[in-house]
Amino acid sequence: MKIRPRSVQNQGIPTASMADIAFLLIIFFMVTISFEVDKTQVALPKTDLRFEIPKKAAYISVTETGQIRVSSGEEISVPVPGPEEVLSFAAQVVAADPSKPFVLKADRDVPYRYVDRVIDALKQAKAEVIYLLSEQETVDDAA
Amino acid sequence: MKLKKDNADPEIPTSSMADIAFLLIIYFMVTTTFAATRGLDFSLPQEDNEQPMVEKEESVLIEIQPAGILMVDQKRMDIDDILEYLKPKLERNPMKPVIIRPLETTEYGHMVAVFDEIRQAKDKIGIEVKNVSIPTQREIEMFWY
Repeated sequence: MKIRPRSVQNQGIPTASMADIAFLLIIFFMVTISFEVDKTQVALPKTDLRFEIPKKAAYISVTETGQIRVSSGEEISVPVPGPEEVLSFAAQVVAADPSKPFVLKADRDVPYRYVDRVIDALKQAKAEVIYLLSEQETVDDAA
Repeated sequence: MKLKKDNADPEIPTSSMADIAFLLIIYFMVTTTFAATRGLDFSLPQEDNEQPMVEKEESVLIEIQPAGILMVDQKRMDIDDILEYLKPKLERNPMKPVIIRPLETTEYGHMVAVFDEIRQAKDKIGIEVKNVSIPTQREIEMFWY
């Protein structure tokens, strides 16, 4: 009986499709990456209800010490000296787009008087809607 | 003179492609920050000139003191009891105004917690609180009496 010669198989791991997989992952990251217009570090309040904020919304951030930064949603946020400047900023934004949503990114420990002045400025500027930026409340937080 | 035949492989070398791609992936993974893009929406009243005068007696006033102490219609209450307190009032009048009034030194997080609780009324007690307002200090001085 004739014995068939031993088949010579390639022992290497096939890596030909590795680049394809990697580039798919890159495309995923590039599409999903969202450039934050405001990188202020704040401890956000926690809520159960959270709604998606429209893209290109204007941002107003208030830190724990009451420092305010604003961004119209198109460019990186800039600091402003006080709530009076928030009013002029908001008036400009509303004049350009009356339905522009505003996002209030305030620290959960900031005294309410700082937030009150910002909300008042937005009301005076005739802003339609404010989103109070929040984190998801978890079961551990509620307990 | 004898010309040497070029035996070079005509294929494009792609063996390092995966290395480059994975380096790019690592770069994107490290630089990506998951931005918080969700929050509670809060519609602002638009008819400023026709602002209805709400009598304090008709509305439910939720005063938020520092450290999250709640006084609902002058009575001390826990955040979990607010909706049960509101339920009979809303059943009689679905447009019952609910006013959230944090004090100046109250931490902002407590205001958001109360607003979040009231917004969940439909899920928790089956009635939506349609008339919630958070007046600012200027409005309180202008419109309240």
